[in-house]
Amino acid sequence: MSLIVLLCVPLVAGLLSLVVRHVRALEAINLLAFGTVTFLAVRLVGAVLVAPGGVVLGWGEFLRADALSAWMALVVGVVSLGSSFYAVGYFRRELVEGQLTVGRCREFYRLTHFFATAMLLVVLVNNLGVMWVAVEGTALSSVLLVALYNRKTSLEAAWKYIMLGGVGLVLALFGTVLTYAAALGHAGGEALPSFDWSSMRGMASQLDPKLMRLAFIFLFVGYGTKAGLAPMHSWLPDAHSEAPSPTSAMLSGVSLKVAVYALLRGHMLATACLHSDFSRHLLLGFGLLSMIIAGPFVLTQKNLKRMLAYSSLEHVGLVCVGFGLNTPLTVFGALLHMGYHALAKPVLFFAAGNIHQRYHALDFRRLGGGLGRTMPMTALLLAVAAVAISGLPPFGLFYSELTIFAGAFVSHQAWAGAVALLALLVVFCGMLKRFAHLLLGRPGAEISRESWATGNVLAMVLPLVVLLVLSIWLPAPARQLLERAAGIIGGAP
Amino acid sequence: MNSSPQVVDFAVGLIPLLAAIMLVLQLLLLAQRMLVTVIRVFALQSLLLAVIAGVVGYTCHAWHVTLVAVLTVMGKVLFLPWLLERLIRRVRIEQEISPWLNMPASLFLCGGLTLLGYLVARPFASAERVGGNTLAVAVALVLTGFFLLINRRKALTQVLALLTMENGVMLAAIAFSSHGMPLVVELGIFFDVVIAVMVLGLLVFRIRETFASMDTSRLNELKG
Repeated sequence: MSLIVLLCVPLVAGLLSLVVRHVRALEAINLLAFGTVTFLAVRLVGAVLVAPGGVVLGWGEFLRADALSAWMALVVGVVSLGSSFYAVGYFRRELVEGQLTVGRCREFYRLTHFFATAMLLVVLVNNLGVMWVAVEGTALSSVLLVALYNRKTSLEAAWKYIMLGGVGLVLALFGTVLTYAAALGHAGGEALPSFDWSSMRGMASQLDPKLMRLAFIFLFVGYGTKAGLAPMHSWLPDAHSEAPSPTSAMLSGVSLKVAVYALLRGHMLATACLHSDFSRHLLLGFGLLSMIIAGPFVLTQKNLKRMLAYSSLEHVGLVCVGFGLNTPLTVFGALLHMGYHALAKPVLFFAAGNIHQRYHALDFRRLGGGLGRTMPMTALLLAVAAVAISGLPPFGLFYSELTIFAGAFVSHQAWAGAVALLALLVVFCGMLKRFAHLLLGRPGAEISRESWATGNVLAMVLPLVVLLVLSIWLPAPARQLLERAAGIIGGAP
Repeated sequence: MNSSPQVVDFAVGLIPLLAAIMLVLQLLLLAQRMLVTVIRVFALQSLLLAVIAGVVGYTCHAWHVTLVAVLTVMGKVLFLPWLLERLIRRVRIEQEISPWLNMPASLFLCGGLTLLGYLVARPFASAERVGGNTLAVAVALVLTGFFLLINRRKALTQVLALLTMENGVMLAAIAFSSHGMPLVVELGIFFDVVIAVMVLGLLVFRIRETFASMDTSRLNELKG
């Protein structure tokens, strides 16, 4: 029951937004809906922890939430709430400055609901075919958000996003069909009784291994494209830098991870069927490749938001490395890392949004330096978030990265840990150099000091405060949830 | 299959033939430059897919596969081609400019891709339920569709290439199971495809308005 409500809240809010014309009302609906979603996701976490078998079902068995789904739903809710909070101030200023029309502004509020609904459906649905439909839904609802400004560059970014994503998703559909076919041989009949994850997982050892292996390759390429894994990542920096900042935050903060979630479901099925390291080696290899490729691009990057996008590529790579190493410690670390990254990365994009509104540029050369003087508040928050995203203590990303590396070294896969550590170091150097210049240098242009709005600052401070609190003190239920989710990925029933 | 043996024999012979014609139409798409013709060839290819689904649904008494056939006719044979033809009238572009690779070379390459599809599908022939080599045709459709997507420059042709790839996947779904995918999945895929083409059409229109062209090779500002 709670699952249906969780899905229906953003959906109904989205449908309601279609008929509402007043922007203030749309803002209110947005905040209210995502506030409710976050609240319900927290409740869901509680329900999953006490449910028999650790699974909550809804609408027959159509919807299903285990610890992993509940964790992802929570991440979706929190990031959506954060970006809809920031969006209020952001779009009001865009409207005042005439950067956007009221119609485009409405489009943002409407599409965001459907984007979030699709992401929630991905993590909550039981049927693997419907999961594909939902992943495609996230792509379709976000592509118009990427093209919101209708500039030449944003149309180019949207086109690349939908074409690469589209090809990827057709391949993922092929993978899904092959997964279905892998189960048919032993199901006896002409059709499977159900294509649900739970029943597929139950009969995993009876799946046709040859077909399942082929299916996973297609699923990997397909969902991997959507997750932005190298070398299928070329759409990622474009889409994440051209989208309006609240959308960039959602794309980087959570939509990449939802694609990783879809990939994980395939990985668990393939591992249970093949009894080999085949799928985890793919995750590990392409995760490392993504991290290595992100490094030089961050070092030489000329655009602030593109640099942040490459940093997301780095973190998705690290998460996949954590899953690929497949020890209890690394999987736990990767799950934790998803959560911490989802709190830190949006703040960076929000700061980039503030900077863009002030300077009308994101090019490091045109921004010059001295942000600390012209925009003290944004600069301070940007600096704190940058410290967090670089994995420095006291922020949680330090802890989660440490967990992944500790797992790697303990499980005699030290080479992978060493490569990942080196790649992180490269990105760290690149970010340090850029941010030091941007924040501390001499102001390039004569720009009066920013007059900051309370709401805007609050939208950026709150995620950082939550991050800091959760870094120092991870509540027992959250830890328990993550341990269970790690158990599920590690092969627990 | 639980119809009378004659009907089944007929269906088993008919389906690979129809699938083969789908592949021939794919090669025609590669050679064709007039956008209206490209759209109509795609509609014809989708019609063949619908007929295959209809034949399978009839011989196996699988009513939901018949429903898929009806949906395919409504969506991919009638609605989407109508939508795309209206779009090319609105943007007033009729011809594709020269593709990256010339026609004889592309046809030669696609012959190779078809062979590759056959080789990839051969180990899985035992898993096929419907006719022989249908899976090989499906893989070939996906591969040549991908080539078409890379080779063409106009945004609209790229959309059609994506749709032919999807046709290939749907053919594979029928080849593996005479009952296709579960109904809820089929319906989901159907609505996704329809919405995808509407979104893509909107983007094509905006690109045309902003760049005064549909040539996607001009989308080259974002780098690094």
